[in-house]
Amino acid sequence: MIFFRRQAPLLVTLVTGLVFAAQYYVPHPASEQLLTSVTKWMQIIGGFALVLGVTSLFHLHAVRIRRREPGWGYSLILYAGLLGTIAVGLWANGKETMDGAPTAFGWIYTYMLVPLQGTMFAILAFFIASAAYRSFRARSREAAVLLAAAIIVMMGRVPLGEYLLPASGDVSQWILNVLNASVRRAILIGVSLGAVALSFKIIFGVERSYLGGGKE
Amino acid sequence: MPFDTLLGAWIATGLTLFILSFLYEDNPLFKVAEHLYVGVSVGYTIVKAYDTVIIHLIYEPIVKQGDWSLLIPLSIGMLMLTRYVPKAAWLSRYAFAFIVGVGSGLAIPRTISSYILKQVEDTVRPLASMVPGDGLTFSFNLLNPASNLNTIIILLGVTSVLFYFFFSVEHTGAGKAVARTGILFLMISFGAAFGYTVMARMSLLIGRLTDLIEFSDPSYGRATLWLAAVTVAALVIWARQRREQPPEG
Amino acid sequence: MTFAERMLKIDRRIIFAVIGLCTLLPLLYPVGLPIKVSPEVRGVYDYIESLPPGSVFLLSMDFDPASKPELYPQSIAILRHAFRKNLRVIVMTLWVTGTGLADQVISQIAQETGKVNGRDYVFLGWSPGAGSVIINMGQDLYTTFPVDYYGKPTKELPVLEGVQNLRDVNYAVSLAAGNPGVEAWYVFGKDKYKFELGGGCTGVIAPGLYPLLRSGQINGLIGGLRGAAEYESLIGQKGRAVAGMDAQSATHFAIIVLVILCNIFYVSLRRKQKG
Repeated sequence: MIFFRRQAPLLVTLVTGLVFAAQYYVPHPASEQLLTSVTKWMQIIGGFALVLGVTSLFHLHAVRIRRREPGWGYSLILYAGLLGTIAVGLWANGKETMDGAPTAFGWIYTYMLVPLQGTMFAILAFFIASAAYRSFRARSREAAVLLAAAIIVMMGRVPLGEYLLPASGDVSQWILNVLNASVRRAILIGVSLGAVALSFKIIFGVERSYLGGGKE
Repeated sequence: MPFDTLLGAWIATGLTLFILSFLYEDNPLFKVAEHLYVGVSVGYTIVKAYDTVIIHLIYEPIVKQGDWSLLIPLSIGMLMLTRYVPKAAWLSRYAFAFIVGVGSGLAIPRTISSYILKQVEDTVRPLASMVPGDGLTFSFNLLNPASNLNTIIILLGVTSVLFYFFFSVEHTGAGKAVARTGILFLMISFGAAFGYTVMARMSLLIGRLTDLIEFSDPSYGRATLWLAAVTVAALVIWARQRREQPPEG
Repeated sequence: MTFAERMLKIDRRIIFAVIGLCTLLPLLYPVGLPIKVSPEVRGVYDYIESLPPGSVFLLSMDFDPASKPELYPQSIAILRHAFRKNLRVIVMTLWVTGTGLADQVISQIAQETGKVNGRDYVFLGWSPGAGSVIINMGQDLYTTFPVDYYGKPTKELPVLEGVQNLRDVNYAVSLAAGNPGVEAWYVFGKDKYKFELGGGCTGVIAPGLYPLLRSGQINGLIGGLRGAAEYESLIGQKGRAVAGMDAQSATHFAIIVLVILCNIFYVSLRRKQKG
């Protein structure tokens, strides 16, 4: 029984991992058909994974409401928004527009989801300004270099900066295309080597944390 | 102005201002908007997942077109859901094993090709150019990223940063100079990243304020101005109530 | 407390107010400074400009409402350009909450330019799976999207005639706010299926895409609202992006001044502490 609980899943990972790593190098029509079918399956499985991600949220707030914990009123609002959106969405068959005209689901998307999510991220502008003022200090030579580069790029990427100091535009282009590109390239190569190594570890069963679920 | 657009403009403006009120202090208006945001976005995701996956990717192909092979991914997906049943949770491991196995297998050769081989290929370009007629030339133009001088700088940057992150060798002597060069390149890159992040965040704010300005138009009933007054009044009342309440404990 | 100390400990709400004003005032009273076009943005523009009418153009709007202010203007400008060049446009998204935005923009621009759904463009909608979707499209487009977003079978659409998979796409542009995005389109798409690829992205991820730009893996990069403004100037139809540039200038300078001030106060405080 232990085999089916522990070893067999690792065997599944090993086989699928090796098959699909090898598939890249095999141009035979059967191999291509395998790729087409399995990536189609991954679409469907990906949908289930999405649902898995959101259901834990249900549970958290349902508990809060049931136990009348402080702030349970807000959890009620969350549930109202959740269930209301689902109800309206199913009624509109999941479509935001019907023959060009917006549905109620489209209304919720345009006048609730977009402004809410947009503003949540827009207020970060204020925090980045206040954080920059509090902590962006040139405490060392390296920090001074960072500061100088940041100021040059901030100036060079806006019309006012290019108008006042045309060189700032050219210098920031050079910083981005040459200096920044080289650093990001090194980071990309390094991270990718690490990712490939991790993928091999997962395929060969050295790294098992992704399994989770249940005892053993 | 159709009624649903007008109502939508007022709701959108109100919700925007509720979230902006967080800048003054964390208050009930913000909490209402925040929880509503989570609820609506999760609800939207669920509706879309149901419509796309259940109806269009599973139900219609299997039932209407008789593609029974899709029962395989359907069962794998169902296995994933057993994660919630403590006694049967070990079955979900097969689903995760399959997903991770396929994902890793697909990613390995593609990552090696795209991120390692291609990137290294572009780094080790010729340091001087052969021009027919002129022979060997060296271009100094800093503004052209493909010039020979820039090619040398890029090579220097990539190798020094890679060396800096290679911790298996001690950074002493000549290694220290290379590592210090790497740090210098890194700092410039982080500075550029900070500049771009500032640009991005400010753009997001500009976008929201543009909408607020649009909704302050008389055709929308000056929604922004009225709702801003209401929000400020509510904040003032709430702040006063908090001050008057005796401290707990 | 000295002046420097007091200034360093200033209430952050004053800084919020400064930023708020620097954003609001230029939006209400624009100046309209000229915008220089960068080679990165020109890369995308020139390639679309060079495509003959009837070429297949794929636009993947891989972002959600959080990035709407930066990427929505980019999508508007690119679609206007593509329709002006009479390209066959395929629109889709890899981000579930971006579906509504993609639906809105394609409907709006198509109506504006008189293009017909099914004949001049198709909206495929969203599919879960990220990299797998791209690979599947590279193998067989009709397996991934048997119907378009509105339920019409894709095999019967005139706009997709002769298009079997991604190899038949002449140019693909991914407007990305993160992962899955431009990188995924390269790694799972262009690497094997060899179509030309361009990118648009938010300012946050833009610096990270420069290695791909330099190596030619993407042939152009439209970065943030500034990139959108440059593209709008190139197509000669100024919109929200150009209108936001003055506010962008003002806020950048506000941050620069704040950072310089903070360092001046910090240095003067350190001098006092030492001396």
